[in-house]
Amino acid sequence: MKIGKTLAAVLAMLLSAALIHAGGSSETGTVTIWHSNSGAVGNAFEEIIDEFNRTIGKENGITVESIYQGAANDVLTKVKATANADISSLPDIAQLDATAALDMMNSDYLILPDELGLDTSMIMPSAIESLMSERGLLALPFNASSLLFYYNRTLFDSLSLAPPETLDDFTAIAPLLGEKDSSGRITRYAFAGVPATYELCAFIGAQNGLSYLVDEENGHLGTPRRVLFGEEGTFRNFLVHWKALCDTGYVSNITNDISTEFAAGRTATMLASSSNLSTVMSKVGGRFEVGTAFVPKTDSAATGGVNIGGGAMFAFSEREDVKTVLGYLVSEEVQLEWAEKTGYMPVNTGLYDSPEYIAFLDSHPQFAVAMAQTEASNPKVTGAWLPSAYQLYYSFQTEIRNVTEKGKDIDEAVADMEAAVQKALDDYAAQNLNQH
Amino acid sequence: MARIIRTIIIALLAAIMLFPLLYAFSASFFPPEDFTASEARFLPSHISFRGYALALGHRYFGRYMLNSFITALMSATLRTAVSVLAAFAFTHLSFRGKRIILTALLATLFIPPDAMLYENYTAIARMGLLDSYAGIVLPSIFSASAMLLTMGSYAAADRDIYDAARMDGTGDLGYIARMLVPLAAPVSITVFIQAFISSFNSYLWPLLVTVRPRMRTIQIGIAMLGFAEEGEYGAQFAAIIIMTAPFLLLLLAARRLIMKAISGGIS
Amino acid sequence: MKRGNEATNSHFPKAYYYLQRNYTLQCLKIAFIMVTLPSDMDRRELKAYAFLLPSILLAAVFAFYPLARSIIGSFLTVSQSGRILGIAGLGNYISLLHDPAFISSIGNTVAFTIPFLLLNTSITLLAAALTRKETRGTSIAESIFIAPLAFSLSALALIFRGIFRGSVSIASRITGLDIAWLEEPVSAMAVLVLMGVFLDFALDYILLLSSFRSIDRSILEAAEIDGASGSRIFLSIELPAAASMLHTTIFIALKDAVLISAPVMVLTGGGPFRSTETVMYYYYLEAFRSGNRAVGTTIATLMVLSSAVIMSLVMRRRRNG
Repeated sequence: MKIGKTLAAVLAMLLSAALIHAGGSSETGTVTIWHSNSGAVGNAFEEIIDEFNRTIGKENGITVESIYQGAANDVLTKVKATANADISSLPDIAQLDATAALDMMNSDYLILPDELGLDTSMIMPSAIESLMSERGLLALPFNASSLLFYYNRTLFDSLSLAPPETLDDFTAIAPLLGEKDSSGRITRYAFAGVPATYELCAFIGAQNGLSYLVDEENGHLGTPRRVLFGEEGTFRNFLVHWKALCDTGYVSNITNDISTEFAAGRTATMLASSSNLSTVMSKVGGRFEVGTAFVPKTDSAATGGVNIGGGAMFAFSEREDVKTVLGYLVSEEVQLEWAEKTGYMPVNTGLYDSPEYIAFLDSHPQFAVAMAQTEASNPKVTGAWLPSAYQLYYSFQTEIRNVTEKGKDIDEAVADMEAAVQKALDDYAAQNLNQH
Repeated sequence: MARIIRTIIIALLAAIMLFPLLYAFSASFFPPEDFTASEARFLPSHISFRGYALALGHRYFGRYMLNSFITALMSATLRTAVSVLAAFAFTHLSFRGKRIILTALLATLFIPPDAMLYENYTAIARMGLLDSYAGIVLPSIFSASAMLLTMGSYAAADRDIYDAARMDGTGDLGYIARMLVPLAAPVSITVFIQAFISSFNSYLWPLLVTVRPRMRTIQIGIAMLGFAEEGEYGAQFAAIIIMTAPFLLLLLAARRLIMKAISGGIS
Repeated sequence: MKRGNEATNSHFPKAYYYLQRNYTLQCLKIAFIMVTLPSDMDRRELKAYAFLLPSILLAAVFAFYPLARSIIGSFLTVSQSGRILGIAGLGNYISLLHDPAFISSIGNTVAFTIPFLLLNTSITLLAAALTRKETRGTSIAESIFIAPLAFSLSALALIFRGIFRGSVSIASRITGLDIAWLEEPVSAMAVLVLMGVFLDFALDYILLLSSFRSIDRSILEAAEIDGASGSRIFLSIELPAAASMLHTTIFIALKDAVLISAPVMVLTGGGPFRSTETVMYYYYLEAFRSGNRAVGTTIATLMVLSSAVIMSLVMRRRRNG
């Protein structure tokens, strides 16, 4: 008797804990979205979701639960871990960026927009291209952005300078943009930041009209196996021009809080996603005028422009509710509100000649630059789908710094970078290509 | 002379140890522009309560705190209870396989939980315990060092009392609850406080096993409030002060007890 | 279209997973078997097992089972979704040892551990030694020295990020150094070490202080009467008496340092340029972010092995001392 009691007490104690549970994710009527929108962008996203729940959701008995999971790569980490361990805990939709594409392309739990029967005919063509794979369109573009050159317009105007068109132009004006105090300490840099994968997709991709970092068209046609930026000399070309810029002494090689430095006036320019526009402007808070311009070209032959970045909605559930929610997210009204509040480019082409959107662009010229830049770009210039994206991101920065700061030989840096990417491709192929 | 030097060194050390707290406190009253001032500030240009308003108005801040308390409490209580039961069995009962079981349990000391992160995550997920208090707490309940500690104090317990209690017809659980635990209370308090602190402070594990904001603990919540991304560093510091203040007060009020509990653990 | 060829397909009813994979159920099953064990077993013996059941279950599920999976997994080639593709033998170990990122993560861990141990030990010992005699004012110092205990890891990391934000940070202003703290490998590591000290300081301080204070007063008084100087008493009586606790705190610090990952994650994210990426943080990145199971299981196995070696060395030392 007593033993039974003891056992029961002990087990009850242990298991009672297990009963406190947050509940499953796929109850009908609830659509969960994991997202990476924080700050002003996060607030805009929450408002869009709240609006859905109040209107369309209420009519159709659907509640969207949006869950912030940290940065885009945190969302991917969570999705992958969950899919491997307990697939029933996957959300219905996850907002991911290009770093996720390769994993998603090779996953068996992804539901393609085609399989959901979604109409994607009105979606921005270059956004479609950015997510097109051997399996077809992987996800529904939602927040399209591109790399953008941010500059302190007040400063540029006072020096009667225009934003540079090429890196060589930039090198020429960098000493004018920088500033030193009497002791020789730099108080304002011409540029702050160290290019990584995202920037290099543009700097390399634009070369000779169109270039790829790796084969299979940057992995869009299939799992990439071979590095191209080494043998095609594109990375080398970039490094030559970038080193010249850094040699002016007015480039700050920081990798954190760059927009804070920009807002504080400690750097005259920076490269950042167009999606940061509203956040940057609120950080600057009117202390100077923020200008945006096309990303400087590596050289005059680098005419390819920039690729579409940002994120897309990846679906993991075939339910009709999910389709309704996705349809809502790319509708004209939502995309207009989203673009106005964030700086993302609307992915719904129906908006491009809507008077409301045109009026918005007219009154906010900084927001129009990203659209113009995208229109001027080759849509085949795409983001590279690389495995171990996080590690390679750092490897690129490391090699660039090795060249600009430590005087590492450019060819050696290119060879090391090539080896690092090749190893990541080989590892990934060894672990994933026999699966299907 | 030696006294003055000693006092100076102590004051210097104290200043260093206090600096992050003081800076966080001061920065929680910074208006936003103070964070981008070209000369770093220590004191706010003017006192701004914007940070506190934002932090307190945050949708999940209170919930994060509550979750941290609940999980830390659960973890500490269960670890104490599990340690008491095991320690009692090892010190008061004889049974076959005692040595083997004890050796096996103590061998877990060699297995750092951080290195088991992925496998434990998979196990918890497959148990369907993602996003539950149980998922946050379960892997941290058993601790060989807590068990060892409790055993050390129970081994000294007077066996005559145990035999007398059994003669009286008191069951083992009754003996544990009425005699053993009260007699060796310091060790249980030590185990409890140590478990509470370590659970409250854990970061990686709750980050992995929680999915929804309403299940997140303050440790991960505070890094996910989203204030820093907006340039609202003041709100971030305000949130830190709000979450730290109660602990600081508790710590100062119960300083002797906590110091005793911690030093009682390892000696 | 490539749909799942495994049973892990989102269309399967949820109940399937519960039945197949619910360890809680399996635990109940074991409990049931234990209750219905052969009747010749002494009931008191059975009771002992019942008392030990929670510990045994938890240790089995959350320590031995994952350990076994890690060890076995480290000799296999496993796909990202967990399918076994073949036997790798020592292949995973060999490729890990040829992985420059892993090698540099070992270097980073060492680069953290050594200054951390030195700084942490000296600063806690200094603080405890100076406040060991309770006089007026020491209780204030005590309160200040244990205050860092109130800070949690992530709060402290966010504060440190604020203090060391760029070359115009408050840290630069105080030190007069024009350093972008978290942007340079050396200074970022220094900030990480400093944060490590803040995280461990209060605990080590309390341990050392209590060890100093538990020394028999009469011995100290006798030495004082004999005319021994304060520093003499400290060096020849008090310090040796606290030596075993000092060993303990050094050992705790060593373990914390070798296994450091969360502070790296929240303070530097491994940067700048992976210069603060420690072994355990690398493990986290590979296992979770890249989904590279081979690396994850192999590092896990190696870390268990090395922590076992460190622990047995320390234990042997203690036994001999």
